Amino acid sequence: MRDIQDLRKEEEGLKALKLRSKIIFFPFMILIFLGIFKIIQLSIINKDSYEAESERNRIIELPVYPTRGLIKLEDGTIVAENIVFHELFIERKLLDNSAEQINFLFTQVLGKQRPSSETDSFPKNKSELLIADNLTDEEISRFKIFSELMPNIKLRTSLRRYLPHKNLFSHVTGHLGPVSKEDKIIFSQSNYSNDALIGKVGIERTFEELLKGKAGKSFIEVDVFGNRIREINRVAPLRSKDITLTLDINLQRLARQELNSRRGAIVALDPSNGHIKAMVSSPDYNPNILNRSEFDIPLAESSLDEAPFFNRAISGSYPPASTIKPFIGLLGLEEKIIDASTIIEDVGFFQLKEDGRRYRGWKEDGHGKVNLEKAIVESSDVFFYELSSKLTIDRISSFLAKFGFGETTGIELLTETESILPTRNWKLGNIGETWFVGDTINIGIGQGYITSTPLQLAVSLSAIANRGIIYKPTLVTQDYGQESNQKTFASVKIKNQSHWEVIEKSMISVINSWNGTAHNLYKEGGTVIAGKTGTAQIRSLVDQELTVSEEYEGVRLNIKDRDHALFASYGPVPDPNLVVVVIVENGESGSAVAAPIAQKLIEEYQKSTDYEQ
Amino acid sequence: MSNRKPLDYSINEPLYNRLNPLQYIFKDIPLYVSLLAVLIFGLMMLYSSSSQSLTMVARQSIYIFGGLVLMTLLSHLKPDSYKNLLMHSYWIGLILLIYVLINPSSGYTTSRWIDLGFFQFQPSEVVRLLLPLSLAAYLCRKDEKIKLSDWIFTSVAVVLCAYLIFEQPDLGTSIIVLTSGLIPIYLAGLPYKIILSYLVAVGILSPYVWSNLLDYQKQRVLTYFDSNVDPLGDGWNIAQSQTAIGSGGVFGKGYLQGSQSQLNFIPESHSDFIFSVIGEEFGLIGIFILFFVYGFIIWKIFSIGFKAQSNFERLVCSSLGFIFLLFILINVSMVIGLIPVVGVPLPLVSQGGTSIVVHLLAFGVILSTKRVQT
Repeated sequence: MRDIQDLRKEEEGLKALKLRSKIIFFPFMILIFLGIFKIIQLSIINKDSYEAESERNRIIELPVYPTRGLIKLEDGTIVAENIVFHELFIERKLLDNSAEQINFLFTQVLGKQRPSSETDSFPKNKSELLIADNLTDEEISRFKIFSELMPNIKLRTSLRRYLPHKNLFSHVTGHLGPVSKEDKIIFSQSNYSNDALIGKVGIERTFEELLKGKAGKSFIEVDVFGNRIREINRVAPLRSKDITLTLDINLQRLARQELNSRRGAIVALDPSNGHIKAMVSSPDYNPNILNRSEFDIPLAESSLDEAPFFNRAISGSYPPASTIKPFIGLLGLEEKIIDASTIIEDVGFFQLKEDGRRYRGWKEDGHGKVNLEKAIVESSDVFFYELSSKLTIDRISSFLAKFGFGETTGIELLTETESILPTRNWKLGNIGETWFVGDTINIGIGQGYITSTPLQLAVSLSAIANRGIIYKPTLVTQDYGQESNQKTFASVKIKNQSHWEVIEKSMISVINSWNGTAHNLYKEGGTVIAGKTGTAQIRSLVDQELTVSEEYEGVRLNIKDRDHALFASYGPVPDPNLVVVVIVENGESGSAVAAPIAQKLIEEYQKSTDYEQ
Repeated sequence: MSNRKPLDYSINEPLYNRLNPLQYIFKDIPLYVSLLAVLIFGLMMLYSSSSQSLTMVARQSIYIFGGLVLMTLLSHLKPDSYKNLLMHSYWIGLILLIYVLINPSSGYTTSRWIDLGFFQFQPSEVVRLLLPLSLAAYLCRKDEKIKLSDWIFTSVAVVLCAYLIFEQPDLGTSIIVLTSGLIPIYLAGLPYKIILSYLVAVGILSPYVWSNLLDYQKQRVLTYFDSNVDPLGDGWNIAQSQTAIGSGGVFGKGYLQGSQSQLNFIPESHSDFIFSVIGEEFGLIGIFILFFVYGFIIWKIFSIGFKAQSNFERLVCSSLGFIFLLFILINVSMVIGLIPVVGVPLPLVSQGGTSIVVHLLAFGVILSTKRVQT
């Protein structure tokens, strides 16, 4: 039992405790109010900014690149596709601590030497280093077994550009390469990752934007370490476009095979629409090496001195030589300086009245009495010396310009160069001299200042095949939104339409006539082909003491000084569907070397079109 | 005169209550249920914040179960029976604090931990609850007026513990121990004259003490309060935890849906920073419900304490009530960025065996002061 005293004491103690409790509670209350105010500020007043911050934390944006468009032919043949490659890479920041793992990878897992040269140089803009490429299935499975021992090394797949026909289309499709500073100015930079490849030349370059498509975005949730958890949202990439080429694989293959790695070029096009059916420049290269989809084989079969990357079909400037004669003859008819029966005496040289200088023909003794047809058939130089001297350079160059001489053709390849069609002003500007009649005489046989590219020559010839209508040459079957929508880019008007026939007849006789320069092609009942041989001189033959052939014997000792062999042709007549220009550098004989190739192409094309019908 | 009628107590109690065995075992069912609710909620949040680790939840559950058993057993002891033990337990705490200072556990940068192999704990975590209890026991050891020497002795005891923790170094915890040690001394009736003279002494001595502190000690104090110095990356942690709470808004992002916590943006989200996970996933509403339950528990502590029979019991309960409130406030204030980061877990919720067991033991002490008629 407690007594009253105790109870009272206890009562007082409790009172004191309660009072002191209230006093301490006061600072606590302040802290409680501050806390509640702060929490309300966080989750109500500033909620939006914290919400945004939290989203920024967890979501990263990654570009999604569409698969590069295919390049195909009309018959469905794949020219350029994308194939899967497996590669091993390592993050830059982990590289320093990974020497042991890399060593283990090569010695124990892959069992091969680490390719040293390219992997040791680490481009600054890259965050990852490729350490092994082109893994085989066996190597992949071996890597997967041991992957836990090499946590820094990651496996990934990539799509690479691959041309199943390797060299066959190299100069048309071109190749890819790393994005350069210039590329970054031309193309939208956001479309390319650091290690992306971009079209460098050819169709791959011209249609880069279409083939590439437009990168989409992927929104990915990441944790605080940057590990990807899941994809939240995706903006689909803009689909890339496939490009269909006008080329005919059989012609292309035949053309390449016939050139057989000799330096030269072949262009075959359909004069009725400008579609290029074959375009070969030789020697060529394997774009897959540059596209990083083939390894350990040489880039080109030829030496680099022979310029395997140079597309001779569109960039090679050659004297058109005798192949220009039909055009000069046509101009002569048009200007009524000659008619079909005008005869001159070819004694082996033409002498200018003004200075008495002699211009020798290729045949020492001359061709005797020649009219226009014989002059084309036998390729009389003297006839055209005389004709061109009467025509003057002004008329010649303005007439040839209508056929596209001196111009680019506007084909969808950016490396095309202009051929040269000299005028008085051109010579003054480029050579610094006034024009001489002798210059005009040289132009008359396609020598001197004038040059053509094989493609331009084919386009110009298509005007004769097509009676004056020239279609812009094209490598693609449809308009992919490139600048020019016009298909016809020129129309050559002549006063007398029968002149076309005169020229064509002469060109047919080049093959069909017993005295034709390309009579070696003649076959009884064979495809009728109109053509003109050409032998382009590299070195001027000026020694008056020697005959042309004697002088040339000395020149040809150096292979690179030998004449180029040309043949410009179309067939079958009538209704030609293929214009073929063949140039074999230093091939010497247009008739023996270049002409048979053109004939084979025209015949091959006939076979395939007959089969289709 | 007393308005309490101890004898009426049994008569007024409803019959089923007197016969209810649960009432006998658990003594205060509403308090018990509230504790269970907070503990279970804590397990849920632990699951969410530990990257959904069932192992962690299982470990924590074992501590909770053990703690609840100890609490229930303790609640049936008479406070007088362990009063002496409690008083002398001060020395155990002191020895532990000295032990970690001279014999730091390897693997930790600061000497705060004792590693028993199967179990690691921080003595400071035990001391911050044990110290006030032993001081209360000491001050109430005799049924007479507390002497001046007792006030001074207890005050020195508190400062000694705080100093030892400051040397670990852990300034934050040292201040908390100082505060929680002074609470029972003040509540026991520390005369205002002594308080005043303490304040004067601190005012006079502090420049002297400060100038006699070693450089590294000064540095430690300055670093703690200088927001520009951020050696542990606390600024980033606070920003992330504020982002979590703020982005949770009023209704929260939903259980297991908080991106900040699920993607590990919140550091220590399962222990000291678990409050930000609650804020992110359950929003303002979740926070207020938790506060409400905490408030109810604290109210229960005081109501049990004020009804208790002896000075000792009342002092113990009211001290523990304030200390419990103090820990909640410090943890929440730290997580929302009101005060610098201190290593204080959210009571009964944060992961950590020591904290859970020690808190439940404290509730055992509180419940033991409640008399239940059978």
